[in-house]
Amino acid sequence: MSSILIEAVHAEWTKLRTVRSTAWLLATMTVLTVGISAIAVGVVKCPASCTADTTKTSLTGVMLGQAIVAVLAVLVMSGEYGTGMIRATITATPRRLVMLSAKAIILTAVVITMAAVSVLGSLLAGRFLLPHNGFTRAAAFVPLLAYHGPTLRAAVGSVLYLGLIALFSLGVATAVRDSGVAMTVMLGLIYIVPIFGGLVLSAHWRHIFGQYAPTSAGLAIQVTKDLAAQPIGPWAGLGVLAAWTAAALLAGGLLLRLRDA
Amino acid sequence: MNAKAPDTMGEPTITPYQSSQPVGNDGFGQLLRSEWIKFRTIRGWVIAMIAAAILVGLPIVTLGNTAKDNNSIPNQPIGPNGLAVVDSFYFQHRPIGVDATITARVTALTGHTLLPPNKGAFKPPGAARPQPWAKAGIIVKASTEPGSAYAAILVTADHGVRFQYDFTHDVAGLSGTASAAAPRWIRLTRAGDLITGYDSVNGRTWSTVGTVRLHGLPATSQAGPFVASPTEYYSGQQFANNDGQPFTTIATAKFDRVALTGAAPGGSWRDTQVGAGQVGPLCGAQTGLSCGAQAKKNHDVPGSASGSGGAVTLSGAGDIAPYLAIVDPIGLSYKGSLIGLIVVIALAALFITSEYRRGMIRTTFTASPRRGRILVAKAIVIGSTTFAAGLVGAAVAFPITEHKIAANGWPTSIYPIRAIASGIGLQFVIGTAALLAVGTVLTLAIGALLRRSAGTIAVAVLVTIFPLVLATVLPQTPADWLLRLTPAAGFGLQQGNVHYSQVSTTCLPYNGCYPLAPWTGFGVLCAWALAGLVAAVIVVRRRDA
Repeated sequence: MSSILIEAVHAEWTKLRTVRSTAWLLATMTVLTVGISAIAVGVVKCPASCTADTTKTSLTGVMLGQAIVAVLAVLVMSGEYGTGMIRATITATPRRLVMLSAKAIILTAVVITMAAVSVLGSLLAGRFLLPHNGFTRAAAFVPLLAYHGPTLRAAVGSVLYLGLIALFSLGVATAVRDSGVAMTVMLGLIYIVPIFGGLVLSAHWRHIFGQYAPTSAGLAIQVTKDLAAQPIGPWAGLGVLAAWTAAALLAGGLLLRLRDA
Repeated sequence: MNAKAPDTMGEPTITPYQSSQPVGNDGFGQLLRSEWIKFRTIRGWVIAMIAAAILVGLPIVTLGNTAKDNNSIPNQPIGPNGLAVVDSFYFQHRPIGVDATITARVTALTGHTLLPPNKGAFKPPGAARPQPWAKAGIIVKASTEPGSAYAAILVTADHGVRFQYDFTHDVAGLSGTASAAAPRWIRLTRAGDLITGYDSVNGRTWSTVGTVRLHGLPATSQAGPFVASPTEYYSGQQFANNDGQPFTTIATAKFDRVALTGAAPGGSWRDTQVGAGQVGPLCGAQTGLSCGAQAKKNHDVPGSASGSGGAVTLSGAGDIAPYLAIVDPIGLSYKGSLIGLIVVIALAALFITSEYRRGMIRTTFTASPRRGRILVAKAIVIGSTTFAAGLVGAAVAFPITEHKIAANGWPTSIYPIRAIASGIGLQFVIGTAALLAVGTVLTLAIGALLRRSAGTIAVAVLVTIFPLVLATVLPQTPADWLLRLTPAAGFGLQQGNVHYSQVSTTCLPYNGCYPLAPWTGFGVLCAWALAGLVAAVIVVRRRDA
């Protein structure tokens, strides 16, 4: 890394860690993710639902955790516009794309770290709660955390998923600047679009939503059973989300360069 | 001279300054007006509110327009009111004239759920018991044609004696089930087209349960004992399969002391399986059962009768009831208003948090120090503007969506086209507007508590919309509790399928069905908004601005 980028990363890290909301949001994200996952594995019972994808169930909390990740990522950029801090930031780092890259690097590092903790905590909850609900070896259930390729893929993929959501939100926030608007766009993409995919009474459209909606496709990475029945494969789905993220960052970066702060 | 007299003359009295300007109006009306001016003078907000009206209506119409997956809906017989019905039962009958009485004693009603081998390890609870609405009784029916007019007095497994007629009507009689120790006597009389149902515990003292005039009942109708046992839905689990699983149930009833007067000349007792299928309405992709296999399975459980005349044992499946649709296309289409909801949530959040961000809140509180009233005024302004915008969007969408759904081939005997002024129409239009309005009040309260826009919008979406997402991936019992207790209960207003307490059905949020009645669910949302507003008022009054 060039020294200018290293300095910018250092500056962003100082800003991020000295804002009280960062620690609060990361703690909330971890607690809610593990909490919702624990509730989900606590209520799913075998034999009533032996067909459940237990890995996916154990990672249910990611559906909530992503909203908190989005809040954090939006504030990293929009918070500065809200307070006018952005002008000081750009004065200190006039090369705006370097500033955006520094934010992206430090945000990804922080989110990936806490996402790994959250995903591990969620799988641990599944590991200890599922056998009590009838998911035993006798019922052909592989205990979570034992080496199991698809589970590993779902776990690593969920961490990457949360990292991509953070970058996606950063791109959107850079493009629209206002935190309220950025949050509305992100929450719409995270929750309303997948709900639509489920609502539409047309197999054709359902399939299209599953393949191209950023979060519906991205969460395909959590599936470990009946892969053939999914609208999109796990890594391909995460790739769709990555493409959306790249587009958002590109748009944000362009607007950042072209526009007055 | 009195030394104690107060000295009022020594110094002149100082009169405090009073402005000659008239006293300004600091009433609540003024407060409302100032909040309304704050809202309408920000052009972006007004544009966003107009956009919200469009974003309520347009997605609803779009979802209605794309709702085409209706090819698994079976053909059902049509009842006297033109709506689809389930009409299959095992019937021992003979023709009667216009003046007849039929009496019977029911001494047992037993039953169980049939477990098909392909249901895997899942054993539904209560499989050894009769279905709660398994029914045995006596019926007067225009003909043995499914869907024809009828009136019946019957004993149910769990809901006592009932007088039912023309599929949708149900009147309760004696409670308790029928057994050899405590049998139930039942009687039906026909006088012209007037049918009356009676019940008794001893066959001597009778009480009237209900009376109905069946217009156009032919002079010769069919009457006799019958048995039916509705399909039971067990929600196996929804992680892989989002539908309730239909299981065939079967019931057996023992009748004795069957007595009939007023028989039509020339007739005799006959046994008939009314209706093609003994079992329920479901087959097709939703159930995992092909319609062919379902039909084949129906032949596997034929009704039967033994004995005749005085004492008879009948066995069979089926039901005499309105056909209840599982999928709710209009309800699902109206969830399209969620796009409008997220826009008005953002507006409501900004309506309060932007005052904090710009420091405007200090001016607001200086101008009107009673902070609680300011919050209430803000709630009224954002709530009523949202209501107006939502009303326009939802009202324009309703007739268009109803016609789109019908044009997409959803049968009108199951999904009738309803007028906007009908009960369901008003529930959808006014309900959607009210749902959005109360959502903004809840958001405003959250905004007053958090003071930051990003956090407010996130929390508001997580408490109102996220439960809908979670409810589709959790098993049904916890999912139902989520939709009873969280603000998302309010979406129950967007239910278009009618339910009857006397008909067992399956109710899954995935299909647009909610555990609470529409307006009850709305009440839950209102309670949350009210609690939020009270909390916000308390906190805002105690806190520095």
